[in-house]
Amino acid sequence: MQASATLPLSSAHAFVGTIREPLAGRDPEGRRGQASGIARTACREMPADAHPDDFESSLKPLWLRAQAGDDAAYRRCLTLLAARLRAYLRRRLSAFPDEVEDLVQETLLAMHLQRGTYDPALPVSAWAVAIARHKLVDHWRRRGRREGLHDAIDDVDEQLLAVDADDGGARRDLETLLQDLPPAQQQAIVLTKLEGLSVAEAAQRTGASASAIKVQVHRGLKRLAALVRREDPR
Amino acid sequence: MKTDTLIELLARDAGAAPRAPAARRLWPAALIGLLVSACAAIAVFGAIPAALYATPAPWTKLAYAGTLALAAGWLSARLSRPAAPLAGAPRAGAAVVLAMAALGAASLAAEPAGSRVAALLGHSWWSCPVSVLALSLPALAAALWAVRGLAPTRPRAAGFAAGLLAGSVGACGYALSCPEVSPAFVAVWYTLGIALTGALGAALGPRVLRW
Repeated sequence: MQASATLPLSSAHAFVGTIREPLAGRDPEGRRGQASGIARTACREMPADAHPDDFESSLKPLWLRAQAGDDAAYRRCLTLLAARLRAYLRRRLSAFPDEVEDLVQETLLAMHLQRGTYDPALPVSAWAVAIARHKLVDHWRRRGRREGLHDAIDDVDEQLLAVDADDGGARRDLETLLQDLPPAQQQAIVLTKLEGLSVAEAAQRTGASASAIKVQVHRGLKRLAALVRREDPR
Repeated sequence: MKTDTLIELLARDAGAAPRAPAARRLWPAALIGLLVSACAAIAVFGAIPAALYATPAPWTKLAYAGTLALAAGWLSARLSRPAAPLAGAPRAGAAVVLAMAALGAASLAAEPAGSRVAALLGHSWWSCPVSVLALSLPALAAALWAVRGLAPTRPRAAGFAAGLLAGSVGACGYALSCPEVSPAFVAVWYTLGIALTGALGAALGPRVLRW
């Protein structure tokens, strides 16, 4: 988890600088504007193998394939990102370790629903971190917590440098939440996503059209994300 | 559910990412808002006489509000993408406002000294910003809905951008029933109405733009 600490300081600044967030904007020394310039220049001009962030340079081509419709690449990307997001979130939720996996799952769901908002000009990890941070702030706000928001500002693992492969187990069970979806959405998700039917097979089984199944799956996942936000343990 | 199971679930048959989701939500929202505000302006305030369309007055207003709407839409789209830099969007918006201010100042300078105040205030300076704000409300609801369905990570800024978009759209509608002719009037009072809508959007953003 501390892998980031071994990086040269300048590259660490460049990483932090790529995140444009209101929280991240309060750099007392005004380094941020300069650093983000460095990061952007680095992304544009440096060849992939010279980039200090190997994770980003190996993730990006895979992610672009995933965006174009390669499901296997997408699965691989989500797995890679989940391990990094877990480490990122665990650091920030150190007092609440049992909430980490819930938030990893919430972030993955949000990333999936918003994958169209990824801008190919940006590092994938910057985009993923911005979503994770948003989910984290939202999580704190919903629980009326303010602590912990501050120490997140200047951390150097903004680019997901650390890996945490250990799925500590989610407290919230998405499978239980699935049962609260409207029947058509629930059925579409269970058939195509859990039972592994193709969209065409699911369409045949339910008598709906293939495009209707896809719409129900998407709506169902959106609804699931909304249910996750509403349902608040404790 | 294990996280690996969730990933499996999300990736299976996921297909390609949707293209240009911001444009796909913002354009319809702006066009619906425009239609509603134009209809409301004509129904409530009445249409300006057709002869006015032979003068530059309504076209100046439509061009100003239209280009500002484009800049605000661009800004909204940037703010709807996590971690995306704003690129030239804020500068484009500022350039449109400054160009209108320059045009207004030039028109005032060309007026005889005695009639400058009258040109600036017209006969509806007090009602214009409020009317623009009121006519923008449907567009504001639509724009906030559009941005909410995307991924704004800076809700106040995104709300402000959505408000600017809505305000510009509402100003387009108001231009159809506003008889004022001075560019200086447009530069001040239209801008104030649009800014008010932007401020309302910024106030609503943190509450409304949650996802």
